[in-house]
Amino acid sequence: MHLRRAVQNATRSFASHSSPGVVPNQQPHVMNAFQVFDRNAKKLQKDRSVTHPRGSSSTTVDYLRDEVADRLMERLHDIKREFKTLLDLGSGPGHFSKLLEANKVGMVTMLDSSAKLLHRDPDSEFEVPVERIHADEERLLEAIPPNSQEAIVSCLNLHWVNDLPGVLVQAERALKPDGVFMCAMFGGETLFELRTALQLAEVDREGGISPHVSPMTQSQDMSNLLTRAEFKLTAVDVDEVQITYPSMWELLDDIRSMGESNAIIGRRNIIHRDTLTAASAIYKALHGNPDGTIPATFQIIYMIGWKYHPSQRPALKRGAGKVNMQDIL
Amino acid sequence: MSSTVAAKTAAESLTPLRRLALHSTATCAKEATMYGDCILKVYKDVRKDACKEEFLRFGSCVRQAMKKKW
Repeated sequence: MHLRRAVQNATRSFASHSSPGVVPNQQPHVMNAFQVFDRNAKKLQKDRSVTHPRGSSSTTVDYLRDEVADRLMERLHDIKREFKTLLDLGSGPGHFSKLLEANKVGMVTMLDSSAKLLHRDPDSEFEVPVERIHADEERLLEAIPPNSQEAIVSCLNLHWVNDLPGVLVQAERALKPDGVFMCAMFGGETLFELRTALQLAEVDREGGISPHVSPMTQSQDMSNLLTRAEFKLTAVDVDEVQITYPSMWELLDDIRSMGESNAIIGRRNIIHRDTLTAASAIYKALHGNPDGTIPATFQIIYMIGWKYHPSQRPALKRGAGKVNMQDIL
Repeated sequence: MSSTVAAKTAAESLTPLRRLALHSTATCAKEATMYGDCILKVYKDVRKDACKEEFLRFGSCVRQAMKKKW
């Protein structure tokens, strides 16, 4: 009786901010991932970005994702192998999948939590046969059977995931042995100009700060997480995309059209006009270019990891080296 | 003459947020720069109302342009 009540309480959502989509894990020995992002709000934002009244605004802001998809595709082409199955995790409308070529990939499965974004673009824009699955990225294994994919790629989606270690573990399970996982995600330096401008404006006008720009992963954490998820032969590298906007307002507009608005649990739903006005002046004064425009930095972390296979060459045992490095260097 | 009228009606047909954007960057550019420069001087140790006077000028210019009080 007591137990049942405890479970009921655990599944109730208390605050108005908490997402109804989040059901706490009920296994007592498993810890829940810390909830940072409101996944339900994010899904709505993405859906709205497609059905926005001003029509094509979702496609006009594809520039950032298309650019990063292109850079990630270069990394896939470095792998001299053909993939029968490839999973595009958190695909959106398929920025990455559209670039796939038929001689490289047999079939692509796109998976995204926003149905409208997933079905935005018709199949005719893809060269490779597409299957679309509307599912939650955090519950990957409920949609994709284990040991089924030869490659899993995720392009600019995992920064909204609460349980990043869990998603990486699931991706490793979903791969076939010797399968590859490739991912591009926003790193901690992303939008630092906007973050600082809003913070300064809030302190000066209101006397305190609140979360407006998401906390994002640092590159050094990613290699640890990949290793923790039992990926082998991992590599992580960092890249930056800088985009110039006329002012902070156009940047905010585009972020919303991308479906990338703030979705932190406990966010303030409004920003005061004065704070916003102040932030736009501070952004320009602190970070602005000489010609009056403003830059926005997007830091992209690329990572790659392989699922274990006996044929992979393991690292040699410690102390197995016979040549003294000093003789070479 | 007719071009300014056209510009004016174009500005008025914008959404309130777009109008705020226009006035805080273009119409009140001078006040915005003064406020920004003030923050630039104190940003290492900023506190509430560090640039109050500069913002009062900037804010009242924006309010006047918006023809609105808040």
